[in-house]
Amino acid sequence: MTATLLEVNDLQKTFTVRRGFPRTETVHVKALSGISFRIAEGEAFGLVGESGCGKSTAGRALLRLIEPDGGQVLYRGENFLTAPGHRLRQLRQKLQIVFQDPFASLNPRRTVGQTLAEPMYVHRLGNREEIQARVESVLDEVGLPRAAVEKYPHEFSGGQRQRIGIARALVLEPELIVADEPVSALDVSIQAQILLLLDGLKVRRGLSFLFISHDLGVVRHFCKRVAVMYLGRIVEEGPTEEIFDGPLHPYTQALRDASPVPDPRAKVTMARLEGEVASAINPPSGCHFHPRCPHAMDRCRVEYPKLRAVAPGRQVACHLHDMAA
Amino acid sequence: MSEQAPVLDVQGLTTEFRVHGEWHAAVRGVSFQLARGETLAIVGESGCGKSITALSVMRLVPQGAGRIASGRVLLEGRDLVPLSEPEMEKVRGNRVSMIFQEPMTSLNPVLTVGFQVAESLHYHRGLGRAEARRTALALFDQVKIPSAARRFDDYPHQFSGGMRQRVMIAMALACNPAVLLADEPTTALDVTIQAQVLALLAEVREAYGMAMVFITHNLGVVASIADRVMVMYAGEVVETAPIDAVFARPTHPYTEALLRSIPRVDRNTTELQAIGGQVPAISNMPAGCRFADRCALVEPRCRVQSPPLTMLPDDPRHHVRCWVRGGETSVEALQ
Repeated sequence: MTATLLEVNDLQKTFTVRRGFPRTETVHVKALSGISFRIAEGEAFGLVGESGCGKSTAGRALLRLIEPDGGQVLYRGENFLTAPGHRLRQLRQKLQIVFQDPFASLNPRRTVGQTLAEPMYVHRLGNREEIQARVESVLDEVGLPRAAVEKYPHEFSGGQRQRIGIARALVLEPELIVADEPVSALDVSIQAQILLLLDGLKVRRGLSFLFISHDLGVVRHFCKRVAVMYLGRIVEEGPTEEIFDGPLHPYTQALRDASPVPDPRAKVTMARLEGEVASAINPPSGCHFHPRCPHAMDRCRVEYPKLRAVAPGRQVACHLHDMAA
Repeated sequence: MSEQAPVLDVQGLTTEFRVHGEWHAAVRGVSFQLARGETLAIVGESGCGKSITALSVMRLVPQGAGRIASGRVLLEGRDLVPLSEPEMEKVRGNRVSMIFQEPMTSLNPVLTVGFQVAESLHYHRGLGRAEARRTALALFDQVKIPSAARRFDDYPHQFSGGMRQRVMIAMALACNPAVLLADEPTTALDVTIQAQVLALLAEVREAYGMAMVFITHNLGVVASIADRVMVMYAGEVVETAPIDAVFARPTHPYTEALLRSIPRVDRNTTELQAIGGQVPAISNMPAGCRFADRCALVEPRCRVQSPPLTMLPDDPRHHVRCWVRGGETSVEALQ
């Protein structure tokens, strides 16, 4: 077992939203109700779930791009959430993020060279020549021509922009990258190019990833372990292959069955899940999944099941598996 | 497939767009037939012309910027291309309807959803207000919008993405169309909702006996809904075949590469293969095969002359546009 690089304990975030017109009301959206996970050195850990399950909030809250309300984020044992300003800045070098939308996450008025050099100026990493050299070597690494330095984001295609986004994350030599749906906005052939690039980084640099995605196929390809989220909580966690080949939580099972597979013989398994994801403003009592769950029992309506270990490395939050344990 | 006349017969469709004052073909020489009750999936990546094909059938190509340069679109034997706009309005939403990817932008935000569904019943079938409302409510039930009566007078923003798409489907079904064009209808939806909408589409297709053109970039979705597949690349059809043949024996190098580039949830992808390079720009199409620059099997002749769509010798329903992998008999020559 390799050393733990990042440990997230009971991370919480509630958004307060004022909405409505003419009479406004204040509502609380519980985006993260205490999630915990660990990422080992060099490991790619996946976070999957549908829109609004809190997976992106988790990625942002642990980097303090959104200030979390509670919990701990330990980076090599040091609490990232309580680190003082100057220390936080040092730690931020080690934790970088790649965003989903390569069109929205690059400043259109800066050249690629400026975008890539800025983090190094901010962190005072070397003089002009050293920074220039670093920018060029990172461009090589992500497969972009060096001439890209002089160009603006609009001159690039979606796949190339995502390479720029990855390059920006790499210039600070991070140890962990939070990749928030990095390939979701791309066409399949381009998606594969970016996945191969990330694969290469994982191997060559020994980078760790928190890989956030709604696409189970992509997660299966990229991540060794995965956690499935539903309405702000982790409902199942374990090795990716085991989870997708033998899902225990009914939600994981539904997600797995609903994920289309490019094989006409597989269509019969397309089971349907009734209803839609409930609102995080007023989540259902007990297990949040019970209104859609085909196996819901009385107990599920009142008591939220604890996430507990059912096999080595596997955890599930479901009353069905309480009894078995 | 039945022997009767196809409900939709597109012949040699070429749609052009004006780029810097010059007309360039976004869709070139696309032909396909759709039998009654059949689902044809059009697959391809951004910019391959799949949406433009559907918009051309609906005659919704933006005027001024784009035009149908040649070809015929026969809907139940009647050519839609020469129709005037008022004539076309009688066909659209009536005999052929379309649903779009983003239901929020294709519904009118200031009209209630019920009104929008009833509108086409009033317009095309001449139903009175009360009757149109009754019929629209029945449609709401059919597309399984929960507590339809209560939600009938809601506005689109009060609906979730999946529910909006159901409203779109109800609108499209209102006049019992012969052909439904669905342009990436589930792309913006979560997978569990996508599965619901796909199941609903399959169900209403069965119930109404209509033919469907399903446009998507997702080969997984294709596998679960289509009878036949047409793969497009850079504005041209590169392969068409019955569903099983495409997945069992993808023949065009592009189709094959596309299938290899998808990471699968049901098994470990040992080797993920990316397709290098990019789709050529519309204003800068190569002289020969449009896939040549990204193709692993490229030969000198591929760069000289554009290959015809040919029939595979052992399967007359499997057509491929490739010098290397294609057959001897040109499909165009037969028509």
